[in-house]
Amino acid sequence: MLPVVVVHGGAGHIPKERAELSTIGVKEAARTGYAILQKGGSAMDAVVEAVTSMENNPRFNAGRGSVLNMKGEIEMDAIVMDGKSLASGAVSAVRSVANPVQLARLVMEKTNHLCLTAEGASKFARSMGVPEVPEESLITDYAKMRWKKNLDPDANPVECQMGKMGTVGAVAVDIDGNIACATSTGGMINKMEGRVGDTPCVGCGGYADNKIGAVSPTGHGEAIMKVTLSRLVLFHMEQGKTPEEASDLALAYMKERVEGLGGVVVVDPKGTWAARFSSLQMSWAAAQQGELHFGLYHGEDFVEPVQEHT
Amino acid sequence: MKTVIVVHGGAWAIPDELAEASVAGVKNAVRAGDTVLKNGGSALDAVEKAVRSLEDDPTFDAGHGAVLNIDGEVELDSIIMDGETLAAGAVACVRNIANPVSLARAVMEKTDHVMLTDRGASMFAERIGTPVAHDLVTEPERKEWEHCKSYHAGVKMLFNTQWGHDTVGAVALDSFGNVACATSTGGIRNKMVGRVGDSPIIGSGGYADNRSGAVSCTGHGESILKVTLARLILFHMEQGDSSTAAAAASLQYMCERVKGCGGAVVLSSSGDWAASFTTPRMAWASIKEDVLHYGLNPKEEFTEMPK
Repeated sequence: MLPVVVVHGGAGHIPKERAELSTIGVKEAARTGYAILQKGGSAMDAVVEAVTSMENNPRFNAGRGSVLNMKGEIEMDAIVMDGKSLASGAVSAVRSVANPVQLARLVMEKTNHLCLTAEGASKFARSMGVPEVPEESLITDYAKMRWKKNLDPDANPVECQMGKMGTVGAVAVDIDGNIACATSTGGMINKMEGRVGDTPCVGCGGYADNKIGAVSPTGHGEAIMKVTLSRLVLFHMEQGKTPEEASDLALAYMKERVEGLGGVVVVDPKGTWAARFSSLQMSWAAAQQGELHFGLYHGEDFVEPVQEHT
Repeated sequence: MKTVIVVHGGAWAIPDELAEASVAGVKNAVRAGDTVLKNGGSALDAVEKAVRSLEDDPTFDAGHGAVLNIDGEVELDSIIMDGETLAAGAVACVRNIANPVSLARAVMEKTDHVMLTDRGASMFAERIGTPVAHDLVTEPERKEWEHCKSYHAGVKMLFNTQWGHDTVGAVALDSFGNVACATSTGGIRNKMVGRVGDSPIIGSGGYADNRSGAVSCTGHGESILKVTLARLILFHMEQGDSSTAAAAASLQYMCERVKGCGGAVVLSSSGDWAASFTTPRMAWASIKEDVLHYGLNPKEEFTEMPK
């Protein structure tokens, strides 16, 4: 059953033509992570590389292609967590870096802290020699178009937010049984400057514990925070639920209690995995035992050999 | 419904010279919060009032008297949460604000978001007319910071571990049966610019849910985050543990799993409360049915009956 990697490219409802590109992106990310795991690489390396691949892909709301805030700027959030030591690293509202997930990993590995925010995160990035990229290089025409559309006073950014797949994330278990998660996002479209969503908050935007499993969520960030979704899923697993049961219970609770929709990818230490969502769609892919599973709508689980390249 | 309020002034190795002021500070804060509850105020109003009182007291590492970061500046974190709706508001790394807890509450009530950080938080503060405070740095803190700076790195680390943890917080249960929590801090001395600790992170620095209870945490922030301490305590209570048992089990887990010490004030929706810590000291106080309890050292509990 090991190794395994499961990725998501966000929950929401998106037009068909964009959905296909999203599916291609998550499949590529899962293959990237799986290749690392097959070579004996760590779960941490696998989730970071899988998420990096989606950050670099302009189809996703993370890294290049992130949504714009109210002022038309990009501020990104990311987290990583290591299930062995519970070490974690996160950045929030960071600007002008191509791969926030890699910066989050540096926070974990090179500082005594867990989370660095805004200008402090940029300062740290500079001290680590992380290249500063021009903001324009991260902004896509699609993001600009959607930003303008939502400047209208009648616009409903929360609703329209779903017009593009959200946050990206990954969970993995390596052959040594170590578990990790990573999540990265440009956040919510037309958000206030400085808005921090669920992604960089431990227990909300991700959690990994070798003894229980790992979760990376996506969806309405504020709702995910209110129920600390990742930790909640794992709590149900601690009580004996399977990853699928635990995900469904936690997502149903989020819907009932705070009217929030979203999705999760989950693994347990044995390699049992789940990709569940309460939104209309979530692009996801999972690689295990030489097979690549993927889907977009409820009930979908397409399978193809991992090696096959499209 | 009988009202309850419990406050803390931070779990750490509180030195003897600060002991008296710390105890006096938490007693003042708990009385301020209790008055709100007595007058029919909400749990949210009560925790905000109590935490404001602690923020205004220079004895504590929050608001006035907050510790300085590596650049000698104050950056503040705070959260507030409403157990009825699970609505929450938080600010991280905000500067020149005397009462971050009230700004956190404004984020909850006046925006669609849960958390604002750094410049965005300051811009929001300005927009809603929050006064700018330029007097947050106290003379003793400036001296401590300079003293710390002169230490070599290894000693500084030890110093941080032992001294930097005086986050403040409160939990309350109001006469309508609603619970709330609030936490506020200047973080740890000599922290990196932009460091966000546990305090503004929902589920770590605090959590409130009418279906279980409310928690406000203090201690080594990075450890609290790793175990999402506030939410962990409430998970135990959802399984039937008392406030005391849940806090003890979770703090012990934090010690074992990530070698971190800390403390928490905990309140169940039925009014059962606890003030627990694994650090050498934690200043805390509670008022339930007009009786004031308080303490500083392990296993210490003093009682003051109403006059």
